[in-house]
Amino acid sequence: MTTQLPELVLDVTPTFVISTALATRDFQDVHHDRDKAVQRGSKDIFLNILTTTGLVQRFVTDWAGPDAFVRSVAIKLGVPCYAGETLTFSGHVTEQEGSEATVEVVGRNSIGNHVTGTVRVVLP
Amino acid sequence: MTAPKGISAVAREMAAQGECTPRVARDPVNEAMINNWTEALGDDNPAYPAVAPPAMVQVWTMRGLHPNPDDDPLGRMSEVLDAEGYTSVVATNSEQTYHRHLKPGERVAVTSRLEEVVGPKQTALGEGWFVTTRSIWRVGDEPVAEMMFRILKFRPKPVARAAVTPMVSKDTEFFWVGTKIGELRIQKCAACGALRHPPGPMCPRCNALDPTFIVSGGLGEVYSYVVHHHPQVPGKRTPFVIALVELEEGVRMLGELLDVDPEQVKIGMPVRVRFVPSGEFTLPAWEVR
Amino acid sequence: MSAALVGIGATEFSKESGRSELRLAVEAVSAALAEAGLKPSDVDGLVSFTMDSNAEIAVARELGVPELTFFSRINYGGGAACATVQHAAMAVETGIAEVVVCYRAFNERSGHRFGQFSSAAATNPTSSGVDNSWSYPMGLGTPASTVAMVARRYMHEFGATSEDFGRVAVTMRDHAATNPKAWFHRRPITLEEHQASRWITEPLHLLDCCQESDGAVAIVVTSLARARDLAQPAAVIAGAAQGSSADQYVMTSYFRDEMSRLPEMGLVGRQLWRQAGFGPDEIDVAVLYDHFTPYVLIQLEELGFCGRGEAKEFIADGRIGLTGTLPLNPHGGQLGEAYIHGMNGIAEAVRQIRGNSVNQVRGVENVVVTAGTGVPTSGLVLTRDR
Repeated sequence: MTTQLPELVLDVTPTFVISTALATRDFQDVHHDRDKAVQRGSKDIFLNILTTTGLVQRFVTDWAGPDAFVRSVAIKLGVPCYAGETLTFSGHVTEQEGSEATVEVVGRNSIGNHVTGTVRVVLP
Repeated sequence: MTAPKGISAVAREMAAQGECTPRVARDPVNEAMINNWTEALGDDNPAYPAVAPPAMVQVWTMRGLHPNPDDDPLGRMSEVLDAEGYTSVVATNSEQTYHRHLKPGERVAVTSRLEEVVGPKQTALGEGWFVTTRSIWRVGDEPVAEMMFRILKFRPKPVARAAVTPMVSKDTEFFWVGTKIGELRIQKCAACGALRHPPGPMCPRCNALDPTFIVSGGLGEVYSYVVHHHPQVPGKRTPFVIALVELEEGVRMLGELLDVDPEQVKIGMPVRVRFVPSGEFTLPAWEVR
Repeated sequence: MSAALVGIGATEFSKESGRSELRLAVEAVSAALAEAGLKPSDVDGLVSFTMDSNAEIAVARELGVPELTFFSRINYGGGAACATVQHAAMAVETGIAEVVVCYRAFNERSGHRFGQFSSAAATNPTSSGVDNSWSYPMGLGTPASTVAMVARRYMHEFGATSEDFGRVAVTMRDHAATNPKAWFHRRPITLEEHQASRWITEPLHLLDCCQESDGAVAIVVTSLARARDLAQPAAVIAGAAQGSSADQYVMTSYFRDEMSRLPEMGLVGRQLWRQAGFGPDEIDVAVLYDHFTPYVLIQLEELGFCGRGEAKEFIADGRIGLTGTLPLNPHGGQLGEAYIHGMNGIAEAVRQIRGNSVNQVRGVENVVVTAGTGVPTSGLVLTRDR
C-alpha cells in the first residue's frame, strides 16, 4: 500500500508571490512587477524557483514532522505559477529503506503541473 | 555576434575553468531571515529557526538587489546568451542535496562551475539553450550542501496577441449570450421553423423578420477540418485543429477541436460542444465523444 | 461586346519593391498606355479593387489625367480582377467613358501580407465583420486555412489527394521556369519537393500556396473601333461576367448544401459561354486563378472542362502543360510568376491572344481568364480580332 501525503492547497496571491520572492532574496522583476512580467511575455508575476523548492520541502516536512531531516529536494518545473492561481501539492511515498523514504511530489495549478519532484527524507 | 558554434566553444572554455571564486554569504545564517522565509512560505515547522530550513541554502548566497560583479559561471554564460538574443530565462531543474542542518551563526560560501550548455533547442517558449551548473556550499572547508541547477535561456517567441473576439451585432447577440451560459443556440424562424447558422435578421426561406432560437443538443459530426500550422494565430498555440461540425439539428458550425491528436481526426468523427471562455466571450469548441 | 484590351503594363514582380504603392500603380498605368500608343490625356475612366490603396484620383493626378467620367471599385479581394475589365467594358459600351484603365498595385510582400492572420478583418463593424465572427475567433482566419477546409472535404468526397494538388503546383513552376519575369524563373519543383514542403494548414503544403508579391499590373480597355487604330493587336472581350451564389460568404461559404464546390465560378462560366457563343471545347489557353492549388481543380469542373470530381484525372496526363491540350497559366500563374491578385493573369491572356508570350501556345484564338476563388468572383473570355 502506498502512503499518500495529505494535500496542501495554497492560494497564490500577488502578496504570496512577492513576499516569498523577497524572503528568498530573488529580486528579478518578473516576481514582483506585473507590468514588466507582462512585457516579457508572461501573463502575470509568478513564483520563483527557490520558493517552489521551499514549498516542496514544506509539503514533505508538514507530513514527516519537525524531527525529520530532508536529505535532498530535486524538482523539475513545468508551467508557471502565476499570481491568482491555486497551487495544490499531492504526493506519495515511492520507496522506503529503513528510516529513509523517497516521496514523489506534484504541484498542480489550473494550467497544468507547475512542479514535479522527488524528496528524500530521513524519518525520525 | 558569435555564431551558435561560438556559444558551445565559449561554454566548453568556461566549463574547463572549473570552480569559480567562492561567493561568501552577506549574512551568517540568522533567525531573522529564517523567520522571514517561514512566514512568507507559511511553514510552521517548530524545528525552525533553531536550524535553518535546508531549502534555504541557496538564499544565503543570493547576489541580492545590487549584485557585485563576480565570476559566477551562470551569470557569465547568461551574458553570452543575452548577447546572442537569448534574452529570456526560466529555471527548469533544481536538485539540492543537504549534508546537515545549518544553525544560526554559521556562514556559508558557494562555489559554482559550469557543467554543460546544450542547444539550440526548439522549446514551447522559443529557441533556447539549457545551461547547467553545479554548486557546493561550504562552511569553512566542510561541504554542507550541493546543487545541480538548470535554466533555459531562450529567444522569446513574438508575444501572442490576445485572441480575436467576435464582432457582435443585434442579430447575433443571442448566440454569444448563449455560449456564456452553456447553451449552443441555433437560430429558428418563428414563422416557418427553418433552422439556420450563421444567423441573420431575415429568414432566407420565407423572408420573415421574426427570428427566435432553439438550444442545440451540442452533438454532431466532423464535416471537414484543418490542422493549422502557420502562421501564428492570436491566442492559439500551433498546431491546432479547427473543425466544421454538422450538428444533429442539421446546421454547420466552426470551432476548435480540442484535446485531440491531429492524426486521429476523421470526417464523420462524433463530437460534442465544449464552451471555452476567451476574454469577455465564450467560444464554441468541440471535443471528441 | 465590342470592347477590347489594347494595352498591358506592369512593374517588375519582387518581394520588396522599395517604392510606394502609388508609384507602382502609376508606373504600370503609364507602361500600359505607352504600349497601347495612348497618352494620359486620352484616359477618362479608372477602375480598381476595393482593396487597392491607391485612389483613382491620386492615380489620375500623378498621371496628369485631366478629367475622369467613370471611376469604380470592385469588392471581394481577388474576385475583382476580371470584373475591373467587365466594368470598364460596360462603361465603354454605354458611352460613359472611352479609354478606361484597370489597375492593381501593392506591396503585398514587403507591406501588408495577406497570408498572415488579420485580426482587423474580424473586428470591422460591418456585415463582413459579423460574418468573420463565425470563423476568425475560432482560429480560422488565413486564406490558406479557409481553402484547406474546402480542400479536405473535396478530397473526402472525390478521393483527390495532396499529390493531385501537387501536380498543379509542379506545372505552374515548370511554366514559370521559362518566364524571365517570373519570381520562380529557372526554379522548377518536383512532386517530391511539393510533398516534402512544410505544412501551412493541412491538407495544404507550402507549395500549394501562391507567393506573396510586390508589383502592379494595368490593363487598358477601349472600344473595338478605337482599338483597331492603336499600336497593339486587340484582345476582344467575347465574355465578361461576375458571379455570387446562394449563401455566399467571403472564403467561408461552408454552410451551403455542397461546400466542396465553387458555384459562383460555375455561374461566371455559364455566363461566359453564353456570351461568347461557344463552350470550353473552343478554349485554347486557360488562365485560372491559382492562389491555392485545390481551387484550380474545382474551377476546371465548374467551368465545364471536366465533370464533377474528375479534375484529378483531367490534369494527370500533362493536359495542362504547355504542350497539353489545355495549357494552363503559361506564365506560371500566381504560384510561379507573381501574386498580383489575378491581374497578371489577364495580361498573360492578352499576350497569348497577341501571340507574343514568352511561353506562347500555338494558334491561340480563345482564352478564358478567371478571378479570385472562394469569393464572389468574375471571369473573361478573350478572342483574337477576326
